[in-house]
Amino acid sequence: MFVYEKRLEYPIRIKNTNPRLAALIISQYGGPDGELGASLRYLSQRFSMPYPELKGLLTDIGTEELGHLEMVGTIVHQLTRNLSEEQIKTAGFDAYFVDHTAGVYPVAASGAPWSAATMQVTGDTIADLTENLAADGATVQEQRGRKPLKTLDCW
Amino acid sequence: MENPNPNPNACGIMEGSLPGKCAGMVFPYVPMQSSSAERYDQEQALAAGTLFPGLNLPFFRAVKSKMNCPNNALCELMALGFTITELGMYLDTHQNDKDALALYVDYVNLAKEGRKRYESMYGPLQQTGVTAAGYTWLNDPWPWEMAEGGKQ
Repeated sequence: MFVYEKRLEYPIRIKNTNPRLAALIISQYGGPDGELGASLRYLSQRFSMPYPELKGLLTDIGTEELGHLEMVGTIVHQLTRNLSEEQIKTAGFDAYFVDHTAGVYPVAASGAPWSAATMQVTGDTIADLTENLAADGATVQEQRGRKPLKTLDCW
Repeated sequence: MENPNPNPNACGIMEGSLPGKCAGMVFPYVPMQSSSAERYDQEQALAAGTLFPGLNLPFFRAVKSKMNCPNNALCELMALGFTITELGMYLDTHQNDKDALALYVDYVNLAKEGRKRYESMYGPLQQTGVTAAGYTWLNDPWPWEMAEGGKQ
């Protein structure tokens, strides 16, 4: 069972409309490494998880990912508030607008609607956890702008 | 990453324990978490996006974010909520860490008070929070509508 709490996990207060940025950030909502996939992946994988620690962890992480989904949706919404006619025609956002106007739709920046084909639930503990590592690693990479990994100085 | 250590509980904050030694397993993305892990306070945790300095990966374009949240009752609640979320997940895999558990209980109690304070000022956090003012659940602003134009 889920109970909705009427607050974000982290405050979001965006000052300036920026549809070009929204057209990229939407990928974190409904793209292959976005928060929708993250929440469904964890919340679905937990049913076949045999260990109590991991049943708990998948439940708690999956729930928090839903909070992240709400935050990303909020970012997209606030970036596309009060659009001017000129802003609607912004390269990169115009294609999104023609289908969804300023609605928040789970879609990748490259245009593919969110798909369960971007995630996996195998029913196998190790395979599922490995898939999570790959997915979360991809999210970190996406948030860093797809920069290749470097060994950090502190290690 | 061979780092032999006879006491697996003495691994550093960037390391976790394998039988008989410390290791930075899958360290490029996911630092392993030791027991009795070092912790930020709740405001720092919310600003950093993690409760644990050992898991605070420096992003290449690190944004030195300063929390800009003029609504103190809300920010307080967010910071407490985030810390509770983080500690809860830590406890999922460290259920015998007594310090962490005591801290968890403290934060949960603080958050109960914080919720009351917030709700008395800004209205219900959950639909069931009916007050003397009636059914105020539908009152603006909804969380995604905060601060249109950057103004409160």
